[in-house]
Amino acid sequence: MDEERAFKPMLRSGTRFTRDAAQRPVLMFEDVFKSYRAGSPVLRGMNLIIERGEFVFITGPSGSGKSTLLRLLYRSERVDDGRILFMGRDVARLRDDSVPFLRRNIGVVFQDFKLVSSWTVFENVAITLEVIGVAPRLIKTRVGEALERVGLTGRGGDLAGVLSGGEQQRVAVARAIVGEPALVLADEPTGNLDPQLAIDVLGLFEEIHEQGTTVLFATHDRTLLDQRPRRVIVLDEGKAIDVPTGVATAEDSPYDNELPL
Amino acid sequence: MIEASFSTTRRARRGMLREWRLHALSVFSLAVAFVCLGAALLVVTNLRSIEERWAHAGRASVYFKDGATQEDIDDLKKALEKVPGVLSVRYVSSGQARGDFGKAEVTQKTELASLPVEAFPSSLEVEVRPDMSDAELDATVGKLRQIPAVDDVETYQVWTQRLSKLVRGGVTAAVLLAIVVFTSVLAVVGSTIRLALQRRKTEVEVLKLVGATDRFVKGPFLLEGSAQGAMGAAGAIVLLAVLFFVVRGRLDGELALLVGVEPSFLPWHVALGMVLTGGLLGMTAASLGLRKLVTV
Repeated sequence: MDEERAFKPMLRSGTRFTRDAAQRPVLMFEDVFKSYRAGSPVLRGMNLIIERGEFVFITGPSGSGKSTLLRLLYRSERVDDGRILFMGRDVARLRDDSVPFLRRNIGVVFQDFKLVSSWTVFENVAITLEVIGVAPRLIKTRVGEALERVGLTGRGGDLAGVLSGGEQQRVAVARAIVGEPALVLADEPTGNLDPQLAIDVLGLFEEIHEQGTTVLFATHDRTLLDQRPRRVIVLDEGKAIDVPTGVATAEDSPYDNELPL
Repeated sequence: MIEASFSTTRRARRGMLREWRLHALSVFSLAVAFVCLGAALLVVTNLRSIEERWAHAGRASVYFKDGATQEDIDDLKKALEKVPGVLSVRYVSSGQARGDFGKAEVTQKTELASLPVEAFPSSLEVEVRPDMSDAELDATVGKLRQIPAVDDVETYQVWTQRLSKLVRGGVTAAVLLAIVVFTSVLAVVGSTIRLALQRRKTEVEVLKLVGATDRFVKGPFLLEGSAQGAMGAAGAIVLLAVLFFVVRGRLDGELALLVGVEPSFLPWHVALGMVLTGGLLGMTAASLGLRKLVTV
């Protein structure tokens, strides 16, 4: 029964994908509309294509729909109209009981970390694997690897609640990547961190991306966009606008007044 | 599947240990409720034993009229000894009956001790097979009553009928009490689980974000509810057992003398049934409490 409901294909980055799947964009938004209040849609016929293995910054002012876009992706919200194709499947039309299987293919990192403070670092990361029924011995190995990738080797026994903000965000990143998802979403992950820590955390996402994972990084922090020459999508008037590298942060950027600095 | 079960158990244990005060309070409340139900069941169980004992007392007393001759008595005694199902027949004269009564009463120095011999009719004490049916005994009693020398025949069926009424009343009271207890279990466990869910809101959010199914999320809460119900019932049984054995130690002889049966504790299958019912109710209550699971 679970097999029938499962979100297919269960692709992991760099493994088990066919030639067809490899050529297909990992993510497509087609005429997506979403509004919370009648008459003031957040997304208005948004179109966007993300290729497999891309690192994309999503930017725009507060309220422009960055978080909404991500929430639509992991189906915390439903689209009003349009399609969101994730690995060829329309996320918007998934049955409710298929949503967990979609989420197992997406790692999400939030500004407020969303860690269980009474759990240890290990428990917070391991839960991703427990959910999919991985054997405890393998969980131990994979969590150890994930913690090593985020620079928290040996901290598995610490309670998450006593860690610093930067460390908590690293735990959240480890939790997002331990399941080797096809896509990692980051919703203002540096919003609660000081500038240096923010750059460190961005570096973590860069490393994740280098392993072949597609990363969507939503931020309104212009300094981060300057760090790496990456594709930048600006959400403007409910639509996604692809901005050439450097333009979004340039002094004479047409989006200058859109970005709160 | 096995991994999922281990995970559910592990998370339930972790949840209960981290919020042990909340769970302990719930278990205590449930134990109090189950003690009431258990006490009612204990009373019913013992009334049933007495009823059973008296229903199969295997005795009848044939009382003679004042004018009955010794010949009448001897003839009836011989006739009764030949009736199928009758094990023995013993003649008790008025004097013997007075003597037996006096032995008990004289020691207590009551006025009853001075009753005259005539107040005690002579009788034949008939011992019948314990498994003799009521219909067979009724038929024999009917025939005995038609004999001119016989004044009355006492078979203790009236007492059995009164006891039966008492047992039926006890069962009704136990059923009503059970409804009250079941309702309180649903309310207590449901509230505890809702509170636990509220306190672990972030945990539920995280679980759903990493792709946990509703069944995976609910599993530990259901297990916790079930454990609360079962532990409440088990605690009540232990408490009742302690009280029962303390009280029985003091009244054992007197009670047995009075009712002819030694008081007994709840049979194991009733105790087990209570624990299983507690577990099942706890799980049901938790399930009802989780209807509005946090949506992410």
